[in-house]
Amino acid sequence: MWYPDWALRRPDTPPGEPAQAIGADHRVVAVNPEAAAAGVTVGMRRRQAEAICPAIRSLASDPTAEAVGFEPVVRAVEGLIPRVEVVQPGMLLAPVTGAVRYFGDEWVLVGRVVEAIEAVAGPGHRIGLAAGPFSARCAAEMAMGEPLVVEDDRSFLRSLDVASLGREELAATFRWLGITTLGQLADLPRQAMVTRFGADGLDAHRLARGEDRRPQPREIPVDLAVEERFDPPLDNLEQAAFVGRALAHRLLTETGRWGSTPFRVVVEAESAGGATRSRTWRNTDPFDEATLGDRIRWQLAAWLDEARLRSGPGIGGGVVRLRLAPADLSDRGRQLALHEDARRAAETHRTLVQTQALVGPDRVLVARPQGGRDPGDRVQWSRWDDPPPAPAGDPAAPWPGAVPTPSPALVPDGAVPLEVEWDGGMPERVRLGSRWEPVLSWAGPWRRLGRWWDGQPPADRYQIVTSAGAFLCEVREGATWLTGIYD
Amino acid sequence: MPATSTLTMAPTRAPEHVAATDLTRSDRDDTVAMLRRLLPASPPRETVPLVPVPGQVVGLHGPAGMGLTRLGLSMAAGAATEGSVACVDVRGWLCPSAAWEVGIDPDRLVVVRCDDPVTWARVVAGLLDGMGAVYAEVPRQVKEAPLRTLASAVRSKGTPLVLNPLSGMLPGGLAQLRLEGRRISWEGTGAGHGRLLRRRLVLEASGKAVKGMTRIIEVEDHGADALRVVSRLGTAPARYAAG
Repeated sequence: MWYPDWALRRPDTPPGEPAQAIGADHRVVAVNPEAAAAGVTVGMRRRQAEAICPAIRSLASDPTAEAVGFEPVVRAVEGLIPRVEVVQPGMLLAPVTGAVRYFGDEWVLVGRVVEAIEAVAGPGHRIGLAAGPFSARCAAEMAMGEPLVVEDDRSFLRSLDVASLGREELAATFRWLGITTLGQLADLPRQAMVTRFGADGLDAHRLARGEDRRPQPREIPVDLAVEERFDPPLDNLEQAAFVGRALAHRLLTETGRWGSTPFRVVVEAESAGGATRSRTWRNTDPFDEATLGDRIRWQLAAWLDEARLRSGPGIGGGVVRLRLAPADLSDRGRQLALHEDARRAAETHRTLVQTQALVGPDRVLVARPQGGRDPGDRVQWSRWDDPPPAPAGDPAAPWPGAVPTPSPALVPDGAVPLEVEWDGGMPERVRLGSRWEPVLSWAGPWRRLGRWWDGQPPADRYQIVTSAGAFLCEVREGATWLTGIYD
Repeated sequence: MPATSTLTMAPTRAPEHVAATDLTRSDRDDTVAMLRRLLPASPPRETVPLVPVPGQVVGLHGPAGMGLTRLGLSMAAGAATEGSVACVDVRGWLCPSAAWEVGIDPDRLVVVRCDDPVTWARVVAGLLDGMGAVYAEVPRQVKEAPLRTLASAVRSKGTPLVLNPLSGMLPGGLAQLRLEGRRISWEGTGAGHGRLLRRRLVLEASGKAVKGMTRIIEVEDHGADALRVVSRLGTAPARYAAG
């Protein structure tokens, strides 16, 4: 069940004018029919939408308020079908097999659901009924006015565009290869898909064939659920949300140790009056800490608001217990290296994130070896937590003319002039600060031709040893430059 | 790493009733097993430990070129048996190739560039929380108070910290092991031929880690592996001979 314009169901939405709700990533998350008629679609960038429809009114999405407003709808559906799963404010999934059996017919059930949700939220909903969550979601997107009941998932999916997979890059690659519909994708051999596209390709192929991921109950150890008790009860949303975020972190750390991450989580809260409320949240991809933290915040906001306004059972008197339990686990957890300790890796990650906050992400760096002739060229720097770029040169290649090991421990960032006294092409003295140090021994020159096409002149590299240490320098265009200190 | 990486075999004699020439294969195996039991499991400890223990602060003193950067990296590599090594680079000159050569895995090395003395102390204190070992250059204007705070953080968190001040000395009593570069000599180069191969670094060690006595040690570095303390080559002031 989906309300496509749920984010725009708010008092400040101008009636009869094109309007769009913008998410935190500056993309359109909801449009009203006027904006849709002008060509604005969900997922579009804000600038692009405003270029297509200059008169459009842009409103910042407020997921917390949307979740609070959606709670009565969830409750209404829950009154007819148990085990409802909320995907996002405005969209929910419900397993209907048992309910269909109870009501006798799919259309009877759909009619009751429509009646219930229209009583609390009015029209504008789209309902799709299919064998799997992906097909049901696609059906809801296509249902215009009347609910769409899919008889055969596989044949229904065949005609859909690959964009319905919801992965832009993958869909663009498929189109580039001439695969435009899910049917064409489903006809490809699965082995070839896995070989070429990995886990993402496998998921896409399964979805295209209608083999949507059903809940795959694995034996979940009881201790994976995390719980916190509060005395006095928490009745402040900010406090409760903060604790919820911390619990989300604990839950994901616990499941991470098993190499798994949850994609369904049951949020359970107990009120001071003893009532227990629980709600299952589902995500297309396995939850990360921020995503799960947001869901908990939305849910708590909805329950606390209900209690405050007395519009539903809510959590009266505040929260005394909050519990998160993974309902299903995905095997997409990160595989740790053999020497890696999960707890220590998490600590290191947290520490480096804090360091980034202090000095900026450009100053927390990791380095990878790459090919090159100079010590500075042999290092490829990248930001920590960024995927390392492809090395500019193969470090295993021979690189004739390269400065031999050991490498200088200090390599100046730019050219540093070095005063050297030469006698017949041989270094005699080096000026270090205010004093001249005699050269004890030296090696070189190693000639580097330089990139003449870039205007880089040729240079001769020398290793010069004094009683104060050894230095790597290069002579180009008659001047001597310090390029490394063997410190 | 330094003291423990070089195995030395003490000249221990086999029992007399076993003649080597009369041994069968199984007898030889038994004898080898027996000798292994008799021989010391590890070489004798050097008097100056060049691998900082958890909760230890090491201070390095000496001008650039004295070989202290590589020494500090090597000490941090030895201390961080688990976890990553963080290097706080004040000048932006640190070359990771040297760190890789002393045994730090590229995946375990993080370089943080920070030259602001106030932020520097906060950065180092933060890194002590989650890293296996920290090597940090000390900017010129850092005051004594944040350094003392760092030393107490090292003691409480147990992460070894190697400090290399860019100028001046660390406050007294801050570092449990203080190493001051006295002399450096390089081998391998001549008058325009050869290449740098090996260096010998003479250090003066002092502090609580050497029981308050000043010792002179000599360290050898081949460039492609960890440092090695050269046994019995160190000289020391009178009455405190050590090697």
